[in-house]
Amino acid sequence: MDIFDAIKNRRSIRRYRPDPVDEATLNKVLEAGRWAPSWANTQCWRFVVARDPAVREALAGSLSKIKLPDRELENPAAGAFRTVPVVIVVAAKTGTAGYAPDGAPATDKGDWFMHDAALATQNMVLAAHALGLGTVIIGAFDAKKAEAALNLPEGYRAVVMLPLGVPDHEGKAPPRKELGELVIRDKWDK
Amino acid sequence: MDIFEAIKTRRSIRHYKPDPIDDPTLARILEAANWAPSWGNTQSWRFIVVRDPAIRQQVADTLRLVRVDNEWVENAANQAIRQAPVLVVVCAEEGHAGYAPDGAPATDKGEYWYMFDIALAMENLTLAAHALGLGTVIVGGFDAIKAAQILEVPQACRVVTMTPLGVPERQGQVSPRKKPNEVTYYDKYGKC
Repeated sequence: MDIFDAIKNRRSIRRYRPDPVDEATLNKVLEAGRWAPSWANTQCWRFVVARDPAVREALAGSLSKIKLPDRELENPAAGAFRTVPVVIVVAAKTGTAGYAPDGAPATDKGDWFMHDAALATQNMVLAAHALGLGTVIIGAFDAKKAEAALNLPEGYRAVVMLPLGVPDHEGKAPPRKELGELVIRDKWDK
Repeated sequence: MDIFEAIKTRRSIRHYKPDPIDDPTLARILEAANWAPSWGNTQSWRFIVVRDPAIRQQVADTLRLVRVDNEWVENAANQAIRQAPVLVVVCAEEGHAGYAPDGAPATDKGEYWYMFDIALAMENLTLAAHALGLGTVIVGGFDAIKAAQILEVPQACRVVTMTPLGVPERQGQVSPRKKPNEVTYYDKYGKC
């Protein structure tokens, strides 16, 4: 698939069919993530592929609840976690991206793991789309719970989770700001 | 260009030709960045397109020196920013990505979610540029406070990252990647 088509037609998919995803297809998606650029080639990303229904259920349980005035509802993404054959958890090793060789933070942002994990994530969502699979990037979950469910060691953080499967609906394109609202020429006041 | 080809053949480019980039080409690349997904569709990214050579030089001077063989030398990206006709500086409007509708941080990453969303857009930008025959290199190691002053970025925005954009003068090198089994586990961390 042409890169511009992939970028423009990728949608966040929230309902999936239970159809399986084979290893070869999954590996193409992971491979795309692995080829992302990173801070000084530190490649801090780690991908945990959750196929085991019990693990997927534990991850679903880590999703943030929807708060209503009188009660809490389950996050709608939880259903997707039970239907899809695969959830990819993008985790990151902390203390590598964003640091100078002497180990001090190189910028005012501290650790860059969020940045580099996203470079890999974007490659994976585009690759999945090109292979006819849907994804949605989920960040609103209790990362501590997910880290415990996956036995993530000290020094690693769970960043986002991506259900991966055959879409059961066409996603909608949320409206984008016009470029004129986002692009500044030379200096901010121009 | 095919998406998988774009992902696998994109390289970080540190030497550029001075050839100009026209506005429609630049717009296609920024359009690709703007089609990235974002937290609650907050689209917190802002792009400063710097063509003015004097401003490019000032921004290039905010780059950190790098250590090569015990000597502090200019970052190769400094010269790249001077050579390429366009520098794209990506800023984030703080307080949107990563926050719940009530304004409280929604995750243990707090305000840093903007780093994630900016990178989603940046990855689209680098892939789109590569598909159009243009090079990029994502530069994060610079004094963002100074860069914000030079570019007169308002308080509510943070300068996050930047890339020169231009015709590659040399091919980039392939940075070796960790093996799949060094970065991928099944069901639990450590299980291959």
